[in-house]
Amino acid sequence: MSYVCLWSPSWPTGAALPADLVTALLEHTPRVSVGAAGRVWADARGLDAGALAVRLVDVAHRYGYSNAHAGTALTAIAAELAATQRRVPFTVVKPGHDREFIAPFPIDVLEPSTLLDNLLDGIGVETVGALAALDAEHIEVRLGAEGMRLWKLARADDPRLLFASPARALPSASVEWVDYALRDAERLTFVVNALAGTVCDKLAAGGQRAREVALAFSLADRTEFAHRIRSARPTGSQKSWMRLIRAALDRITLPDAVTGVTLRVESVIGNDGVQGDLFDKGFASAPQVERAVSQLMDDQGDVVLTPTNSAHPLVDARTEWTREDPAVAATSGERGVAKAQSGAKPTPRLTLQLVTPPRSVSVRTEERRDHQVPVQYRDGGTSYAIVNVAGPERVSGGQWEEGGPYAREYFRCVREDGTLVWLYRDAVGGGSQTVGQSDSRTANYERRDCQTVRLSDCPTPWYLHGWWD
Amino acid sequence: MSGAAAQDLLALRALLEERFPDASPITRRAATQLATGIAELDRALPSGGLPRGRLSVWAPQGGATAILRAACHGVLAAGERAAWIDSVGTVAGAFWDEGPLLVRPSSRLNALRSAEELLRSGGFALVVLAGAEPKGQETVRLTRATRDGGSALVALTTHAAMSALKLTSRITPADYRYKRTPFGDPAEITHARVRMDAVALGWKAHAEFVLPVTHHELRLSLEPELADRRGASR
Repeated sequence: MSYVCLWSPSWPTGAALPADLVTALLEHTPRVSVGAAGRVWADARGLDAGALAVRLVDVAHRYGYSNAHAGTALTAIAAELAATQRRVPFTVVKPGHDREFIAPFPIDVLEPSTLLDNLLDGIGVETVGALAALDAEHIEVRLGAEGMRLWKLARADDPRLLFASPARALPSASVEWVDYALRDAERLTFVVNALAGTVCDKLAAGGQRAREVALAFSLADRTEFAHRIRSARPTGSQKSWMRLIRAALDRITLPDAVTGVTLRVESVIGNDGVQGDLFDKGFASAPQVERAVSQLMDDQGDVVLTPTNSAHPLVDARTEWTREDPAVAATSGERGVAKAQSGAKPTPRLTLQLVTPPRSVSVRTEERRDHQVPVQYRDGGTSYAIVNVAGPERVSGGQWEEGGPYAREYFRCVREDGTLVWLYRDAVGGGSQTVGQSDSRTANYERRDCQTVRLSDCPTPWYLHGWWD
Repeated sequence: MSGAAAQDLLALRALLEERFPDASPITRRAATQLATGIAELDRALPSGGLPRGRLSVWAPQGGATAILRAACHGVLAAGERAAWIDSVGTVAGAFWDEGPLLVRPSSRLNALRSAEELLRSGGFALVVLAGAEPKGQETVRLTRATRDGGSALVALTTHAAMSALKLTSRITPADYRYKRTPFGDPAEITHARVRMDAVALGWKAHAEFVLPVTHHELRLSLEPELADRRGASR
């Protein structure tokens, strides 16, 4: 960074500085900013700073500020002191000599607070150089945070960023035609493909990947139709973008014929690679995994999911599925190793597999002390004998929830074939029920409509909610 | 057998393996193995693991899901990746341990597409296809993708066509262990013994596991205002 600081003791404050003066200065340098206390800063990067200072002082003279001074340095503090503390019109601080240049100035030029000024006076620090010569530890202990800030300035360590990096224009490409209006989807795809090629080449040249692009159609009725397309994984690949664009073109309906198309990138990220680990087995294939997962998401929607569980009493209402980030999916091996190192060992255990939504089944029960337990159920025309039952486990609630109240009696039942299934009786459900009142030899089931009988007389429905596997 | 004849036989076997790699038995170590990290399972599998680049089938239920999920975590612990394709949505989020990539496609066809995509990427050591049974040409496509990507594909299906390894597991009612109530009724199922068989060309092995049964953690939340029909006579 190279700065030119322009200052005149006679010009007004920054806010009142004539706007046409700044405009005139901009003819010589691409960026000018007006700072505090009437300092005018010019960005001299890539320019001859000394010559620029001369030109800027000339401009100031033309506007009537004959006592304008300019200072040039690599740091803002050195340029500022060169402009404001020297009596000559131009001062150029040699690169690398900023600290020596500011050392002889009195400490007041760094504008310390009254308290700090007194402290510095007390320890005999009178010049910038004397302050810079002290140890950082001593400054921190004796003079605190403000002392440290001033000490850094005294060492020409000025953190001020007067000019932020300019925003780079995002790649775009467009084509317009006036002789005819396009209605053919194939030809439109051909045009867009050419634009995508141009845009992707620009992305590659800039080392960037696009996260989102906008496809804007100029229509024959003089309106514009814009459609944004977002990729699950930022990419600069023409093939990937064309796959998404084709899918988007299949979905959208344009209100009129097309007379022009613009493809512009809406957001980009850098093409930086991740530092690899020689011992990470999955590092080499991570980009392929990321690409494959992104393609799955682009083709099928949010199918790569991760569960977020609440404390809802019902298992089927406990989980919210959220989309997995392709980049996170690619690092699953790395996380697996970390988990294994923490002592977690893979142990198989029978876990509940859900039937979603729970499937209505016909159940025959028998009495076990004070409750009924299932002894047989019929699901889709097949009858299953139950040889052992654990339960019931009762759960109820939901009066204040959107789905309404629920009361269920869950049973874990071991079938004759060894499958452990999860059945429940819905204690608040209605509708067509099966009443198990037949004997086990014939396994007859009687069905009746619960809407027509009193709740107290109505047997409640049974559902198959899952199995353990 | 004379020395020359033995040499010829070895040369012929090598030639056959080279020309028809899919036809050679996995016990010949033509395929590299993927150790699952579960000692009992690895011991029962040919050469100590699931064959990479090959299709294995495991008949659904009987503890297959439990063992394969643990195998996925074993693969992750070794620094590789595993994916679980759940095409019928049976995975309960509350019992899913973070780690393997979980894909929940909307249809059988999408499940097969997902499997092919993940297999071809070459980034997954183990892909489990649950709930979508590939048939005919679909199996051919999947086996090709498996070979190209070098992953071990395990399909939870009863169709064993084109598979290099066939696995079955079963639990009988007598294999469950219970905690009982003071009245002697089953209160909670704690463990189950799973018997597994692995069959491949030139290989037959058996293994037994005792698996804990995960409780479903129902919370009792009885509401006094609710019409409670528990225990009502039918």
